[in-house]
Amino acid sequence: MDVEAIKKNWLNREFDVAEFPITQERILAYVHACGETDPRFSDPEHPEFQAPPTFTAQYVGRRILPRDFPMLGFRGFDAGKTVVLHGPARPGDTLFAHSKIADAYEKTGRSGRMVFLVHRMEFVNQKDERVSTVDWRMVRQPDQEPEKREK
Amino acid sequence: MILDLHTHSIKSDDGRARVETYCGWIRKRELQIEGFVLTEHRQFDDESDYRPLEHEFGLRILKGSEVETDYGHVLVFGVNDRMRAAFDFADIDLPLGLVLEEAKRCGGVAVPCHPGRPRVGMCAHFAERGAVDGVRVIETRNGGSRNGEDAAALALAEKFGYRGIGGSDAHLVSQIGRCATRFEGAIRNEDDLVRAIRSGKFEAIRWT
Repeated sequence: MDVEAIKKNWLNREFDVAEFPITQERILAYVHACGETDPRFSDPEHPEFQAPPTFTAQYVGRRILPRDFPMLGFRGFDAGKTVVLHGPARPGDTLFAHSKIADAYEKTGRSGRMVFLVHRMEFVNQKDERVSTVDWRMVRQPDQEPEKREK
Repeated sequence: MILDLHTHSIKSDDGRARVETYCGWIRKRELQIEGFVLTEHRQFDDESDYRPLEHEFGLRILKGSEVETDYGHVLVFGVNDRMRAAFDFADIDLPLGLVLEEAKRCGGVAVPCHPGRPRVGMCAHFAERGAVDGVRVIETRNGGSRNGEDAAALALAEKFGYRGIGGSDAHLVSQIGRCATRFEGAIRNEDDLVRAIRSGKFEAIRWT
């Protein structure tokens, strides 16, 4: 399947909604892991205490790709995430992440032909207010052989 | 005039540098380049107007593109509407001969870049499928080259009599200006750049 067919058949179709309750403990664990020191994110007593901007990048929905999505080869890798923040997430909120494939494109590099899939998660809170947009770029290498694993 | 002929900004999918930050970095680090060309991947950026940044930082900021062909990646300079109609910049299987010919016909110039790089450089394809007519200039100094890649490019240039340009291939701010091209005269715009590249009067530079 080529990229044009992917665009035609799979782009911008919601394929998953996942629910994530936000707790103080979860925020503090994330802040600790990142080494964040800003009291807005690390001090629960701060009047504006909230999750840091990249907080929602940690979440993965119930599905990475839509059901029956073509394999596009045996090999691939994670090409990173970008986060656009729209509003705060605070303890007690419940976030809902709506997933879709937002873009697909091809490029060539040292490792050969690559197909980039952009998995977009739109996070809204329990009031249906936008919280963030997370774009996760996944690379598939249709021309590469499967990796051989040693037994 | 010294220009970095191969850079990417956040307009490219893998670029992480803002043009303004490039400008600030060049001045802060007192780099010797006097400007740069934005060669975004598989597209031509006709939206951005960098003239205010040119004035603010006293730098020349020009625009080209990096397209993908059956012989590897190619920089195109002097992009105009005719050239954009002549071939699809987003196509990753463009015939190199077509890009060279159409760029020239439309008043521009096409320059195969990082030719020594595996898969996306011209050397490997030359070895397998033979040379392509119409190549006059290649990128012999690329800031992203790994061991031996620029040497292969230089050997190719010597074998076929190509002239060589230099560019950093910067995707991050700190990479700009690692390689560049020194021209004899001033380059005021894309037309001057095309004329200067066609004249062959330039040299590729690498700073370590």
